[in-house]
Order: sequence, then C-alpha cells, then structure tokens
Amino acid sequence: MVYIASWDEFAERSVQLFRADPHSSRYVMKYRHCDGKLVLKVTDNRECLKFKTDQAQDAKKMEKLTNIFFTLMVRGPDADISEASGKEQVEQAASKKGRGRRQ
Amino acid sequence: MVLLQPDPFLNELTSMFERSTEKGSVWVTLKRSSMKCKATRKKMETAGETIEYRCLVRATDAKKTISTSLSARDYQKFQASYATVLKAHMNALKKRERKDKKKTAEPEKKQKKSEPSKKPAPPASRASQ
Repeated sequence: MVYIASWDEFAERSVQLFRADPHSSRYVMKYRHCDGKLVLKVTDNRECLKFKTDQAQDAKKMEKLTNIFFTLMVRGPDADISEASGKEQVEQAASKKGRGRRQ
Repeated sequence: MVLLQPDPFLNELTSMFERSTEKGSVWVTLKRSSMKCKATRKKMETAGETIEYRCLVRATDAKKTISTSLSARDYQKFQASYATVLKAHMNALKKRERKDKKKTAEPEKKQKKSEPSKKPAPPASRASQ
C-alpha cells in the first residue's frame, strides 16, 4: 500500500474519490495509541488512498477533513463544503502571502 | 454490530479509546448509507421515491463493534462532540518541534500556516539574510 505524502493532495483526492462514487466510498480513521500513529484511508473498493502520520498538528487537519466528510455524507456529494473547509482556505492564502513576501 | 443512538455511541467510543491505550487500535469508519438493503432501494427508485441518506458511523477496537447513524438534523452536534472525544484521546501524537531547534525552511513554513497572526517575523528574517 502506497501512502500519499502530501496532506493537501490526500484531502483533495479523497473528496474527489467520494464525489465520483458516494455509494461505495468510505472514510476510515485508525488510531493506535501505543505507537502514536494515525492512519486515514478513503476507498471505493477500486482505488485506495491512505495517509499516515504521527504528528499532532495533522490531527487538526484530520478534524477538518472529517467535518467535510460528515457534511458530504449527510447532505450528499453536491453539498457545499466551503463552510467546513473555508477556514483552511483562508489560512492557506495567508501562509502563501507570507511566503511570497519573505523571498 | 450494535446500532446505538449518537450519544451512547460517543460514550462507548470513549471507553474504546481508554481500553486501547496500552495495545491495540481503534478504527472509525464513515459511510454514506440509506440504511436500507439494495432491493428496497431499487424498488424505491423505480417508484420514484426519494431515498433519505444518512451518515453511518462505525467504530471497532477489533473486539467489539458499535455503530450509529446520523441524520441531517443531528450530525453537526455529533461532529462537535466527536471532535472533542478525539482531541481528548489522541495525545500520543508528537507535538510540533520548537522553532529555535530546527531552523530549516520546512518547519518554519508549517508554523506560519497554523499561526498566520505572527506578522512581525518576516522583516526580522529578511534583516538576517
């Protein structure tokens, strides 16, 4: 199994995967306390996306993605997820701005 | 598989996390489901009825499996309580490294992302260059 290294890529592709086939997609979180490991998996039984981390900061990102999936699953794949992911986008924009000025 | 109401589910999930601190893992699965079998669903589709979808949440620690189903009405409340349960129990993950220990570009970028309010930093680093 190949893990996706980039969080942003994982988040984007997992939402795409779910939207392509909402009926057979699932979102799985596995937490192993003794090893301090967190694994996220999104699959539709044909394609499987996985992300592994041991960082506490990734747990915060996971919380946002979990909220996106709750919204998508309850309201349907066409639901507006900007409310759930909006904060993240603003943060990303702010960090990009900062990086640009620095150079 | 026991189908619980959202609140008892969260309580049971909490004790699962507590039981698995020394060894073992906890899995939580989210799935979009109508809670009906395929045949009923097809029948409803041909009859032109709208199928109500809910979010099925399953949790297991490999010994016991519990589940709950969320409607559009109660998912936001569940979402918040679920996040609290996770935050309380996911404390084995590594904390972010301090800035002064590692002065490479990578952790600096990550820190900026989570603390966008720290605006005075860029001029200082520019002066040092």
